[in-house]
Amino acid sequence: MSVVRKWLRVLHRDIGYVATGLTVIYAISGVAVNHVDEWNPNYIIEKTQTPIIPLDDSIFIAEKTADYVISQVGEKGKVKSYFRPDPETFQIFLEGNTISVDLKEWVVSQEKVKSRSLIRETNFLHLNAPKKIWTYIADIFAAALAFLAISGLFMIKGKNGIKGRGAWLTIAGFIIPVIFLILYYY
Amino acid sequence: MKSVIYILLSCLLLNISLLADDAKKFGKEITLKEKTSISKILANPKNFVGKKVLVEGTIVDVCSKRGCWMEIASDKEFQKIKIKVKDGEIVFPMESKGKSALVEGEVYEIKLTKEEAIEFGKHEAEEKGTKFDPGTIKGPVTLYQIKGFGALIK
Repeated sequence: MSVVRKWLRVLHRDIGYVATGLTVIYAISGVAVNHVDEWNPNYIIEKTQTPIIPLDDSIFIAEKTADYVISQVGEKGKVKSYFRPDPETFQIFLEGNTISVDLKEWVVSQEKVKSRSLIRETNFLHLNAPKKIWTYIADIFAAALAFLAISGLFMIKGKNGIKGRGAWLTIAGFIIPVIFLILYYY
Repeated sequence: MKSVIYILLSCLLLNISLLADDAKKFGKEITLKEKTSISKILANPKNFVGKKVLVEGTIVDVCSKRGCWMEIASDKEFQKIKIKVKDGEIVFPMESKGKSALVEGEVYEIKLTKEEAIEFGKHEAEEKGTKFDPGTIKGPVTLYQIKGFGALIK
């Protein structure tokens, strides 16, 4: 084994070990955000509607109406704030729950939000939300992936190496994105 | 080997601390000292187009999929303004709803033809999971929003 190939193997192996965690994180998040039009990759949102008995009061008082609505739907969370987007709607914000009251029909819509554990954290990192030093870690990771890909080409000699079967498979790997660029981009 | 594990753990802890911080501060530093009331902007939006403003209000809605916009309530009833940020540059968490935000950004206008306004309304309704009646759009529409640069959420 040549010295170059020996070092390629050593570096490929050790960088590969380090890259495992990040590769899995990026893979999970990649699938999650790839389907952003079909599902929410960060939150589980549960929406419900409940008709309630109208509050018999001619004067609207936010605190009183909020207390009444919350008791009617059986919620117990602390009220963070209120908002009236229009004269017929009253919104009450609780922790993880937005209650919207149709003051004309007295129908209460609730939107309960829960974080998608693990997937949200992977998205946070994958989409570089932290910025700061993480930007450079992600850059190093990208360079490491490029190294793993290129070094991988030269690790095996013979008919299964880059001069044989490996060449055809590598060409196939380039052709796939080119086909889709021709189909969708040009 | 121990040092490699130590570095990896340090990176992990750093990220956890970034998550735990839950970024009360978003985007760039706030530089303006004087606040402009949202009602003042909405009363005469053209006068503010292209100007940098500092606004404050309760967060009443947040983009659920990308966190790329939020709406904050005005100091006057039945009014709100949308804060739009570049996708991925700032991500507003949905947990922010109901909290108070201090936002620095630039007021801008979006001019839409009737057809564009209908499309825009449909898209917004789809995003929010609400109903939209195209009949409410009678002609061209001009929207005023704030391009958010930095925010502080309390």
